[in-house]
Amino acid sequence: MDLVSGFGTVLSPQNLLYAAIGVTIGTLVGVLPGIGPALTIALLLPVALRLDDPTGTLIMFAGIYAGAMYGGSTTSILLNTPGESASVATSIEGYQMARRGRARAALATAAIGSFVAGTISTVLLTFAAAPMASLAITFRASDYFALAVLAMVTVTAMVGASLVRGLMSLTFGLFLGLIGIDSLTGQARFTFGVPSLLDGVDIVTIIVGLFAIGETLYIVSRLKDLPSKVEPLEPAAGGFAWLSRSDWSRSWRPWLRGTALGFPFGALPSGGAEIPTFVSYTLEKRRSKHPHEWGRGAIEGVAGPEAANNASFSGVLVPLLTLGIPTSATAAVMLAAFGYFDLSPGPQLFEKSPDLVWGLIASLFIGNVMLLALNLPLIRIWVKVLQIPRPLLYTGILVFATLGVYAVSGNIVDVFIAFAIGVIAMFMRHFDFPIAPVILGVILGPMMEIQFRRALLLSDNDLSIFVRRPLTLILLLLAVAALGLPHLPRLIARMRGRGDVQRLSFGDED
Amino acid sequence: MSAVTPSEREPSAVGPGVPDPQDPEAAGVGTAEPGAATAGPGPLVAGAVLLLAGAALLAMSIASAVQSGVTLGGPTLAPIIVTGLWVVVALAYLAGRIRARGIGRGIPMTWRTPALLLVALVGYSVMLKYTVVGYVLSTMLFVLVAARLMSTRPLRTVIVRDLMTAVGLSLGIYLLFTRLLGIVLPAGVLPL
Repeated sequence: MDLVSGFGTVLSPQNLLYAAIGVTIGTLVGVLPGIGPALTIALLLPVALRLDDPTGTLIMFAGIYAGAMYGGSTTSILLNTPGESASVATSIEGYQMARRGRARAALATAAIGSFVAGTISTVLLTFAAAPMASLAITFRASDYFALAVLAMVTVTAMVGASLVRGLMSLTFGLFLGLIGIDSLTGQARFTFGVPSLLDGVDIVTIIVGLFAIGETLYIVSRLKDLPSKVEPLEPAAGGFAWLSRSDWSRSWRPWLRGTALGFPFGALPSGGAEIPTFVSYTLEKRRSKHPHEWGRGAIEGVAGPEAANNASFSGVLVPLLTLGIPTSATAAVMLAAFGYFDLSPGPQLFEKSPDLVWGLIASLFIGNVMLLALNLPLIRIWVKVLQIPRPLLYTGILVFATLGVYAVSGNIVDVFIAFAIGVIAMFMRHFDFPIAPVILGVILGPMMEIQFRRALLLSDNDLSIFVRRPLTLILLLLAVAALGLPHLPRLIARMRGRGDVQRLSFGDED
Repeated sequence: MSAVTPSEREPSAVGPGVPDPQDPEAAGVGTAEPGAATAGPGPLVAGAVLLLAGAALLAMSIASAVQSGVTLGGPTLAPIIVTGLWVVVALAYLAGRIRARGIGRGIPMTWRTPALLLVALVGYSVMLKYTVVGYVLSTMLFVLVAARLMSTRPLRTVIVRDLMTAVGLSLGIYLLFTRLLGIVLPAGVLPL
């Protein structure tokens, strides 16, 4: 069994250390506002390259991604300002629980629910990965092109409140991805005569600009009008793991339902964890036997979405590992990390580097156990972290951002590009343009172009290749359908004769 | 880092808070598009800038295509598609903003702090690259300046905390990167 050898890889002291470092950093950045898993992985990429240990590094990165999902819930419960966008749904009921002196119960149902969901969904990943990879072997260039189109369209249509603004962000990302020398012909595109642009704009530079610089500039432009109160932890009461008997019985079904929602949504190109968390929140609210508690701290509203966001993380890994298609900003950075090590995720990865793949999957089981320990008994540490004064926190983010871009490349042009992207990102936040489509555009755009041209080369410039192959055609039709998906609730409502329903839309991932 | 009691804390600025279910204002009731951009000329200016930038880039792409020819599998097609899409989307955005004018919530903004912070960042990176000050001293200076720019509390109440952070952060990063990770940072005038 492949997974057994994967555990063999992970259980070496060095890889266990990588996993522990990963989940700890992940929880930290999940708790901290203003810094998320995508930015953290981008900043660590140059360091990771030094370590020259692809397996260990990717285990660490996966730990960061998973840890951020756990840590984000702490901030949303205690501060009412989610540390990660995937925790927005959690904060609605979670913060109300904390205000009513049930912070520990909220944190416990979030952590245990994350553990349950993380473990179950990793089992699902284990069983889905190999068949998906063997299916992916049959994919041709035209299929990959269609898949990239589908991923881009769904993410853009679902993230943010407006399709136009989502498309604008995506277009900006596609443009950034075009900069540099064309890999097939060597022609320079959009380099504006700047030599260091010939290699293109590095993904680290773009992410540092969009997230670290952009977020900080945006925050300081509105520093004075924001809330600050951290809800205190009440003294530990009875019950197993801070949950009373009734808490347990009200939590376990939402955990399982959240898992069932999170995993498939993560695996689909739908932009990561935001959609399943909100679907789970709505579902639990509708099914609840305690409707009067909603809005005043219903535990189901924490249990469901938290399970969903952790399950979606394993789901995201399915297309990332088997097809090399990222469905969230963090997955896009992880894909770049694979690239740094000259590894290309996809069916070949399972044949060429089974140690890495199965080690990575096995590390998720171990990481979940570590995260449960980090987030229940050690919760006080993270409450302390929340009390870091904001000016010092954001100053620190800027120092690490500059370090990540400059000190490693030594190229000041890169730094100025990051600053420029940061200014653009500040305005994007101000005018409510989503950020995640930019990154997916940068990563998926070039992939799409290469596969398009490769498909044409193979078919002697015959465009009908994109409609002749059934798989390609189906994927392209799905992409068209995905454009209409956010409007579905409104259409259904109209058919049933109700008017005032909002369209599906979700927050942004950092 | 020393723990700070809640009463001494700075405002935690974390981006827009989650709508409080009991607060109808926060849920964006009464606006055409919840969370939409501010009223006033801002979005119109943004739309115009986007449109102009897109048009310029499209012109560049077309010029390059005219020069070296366009083929389906060639390198000049993608730039035209992307910048063309840019122009179309920017037009749609601008049209939408013109129609929605006057609707939406205003978020009070200050431009002074981000502008000064940007100047500090540029100064910091120029100092790193072109002077002999070195990583540790430049970073200390930057931390002090940036923390001061973002702080809302009087200097004398935070100076000790800021100084400790400046020294700890800059020395910590320098030693970690140069000694443990083998990444070279400019040593500068300090005998490190």
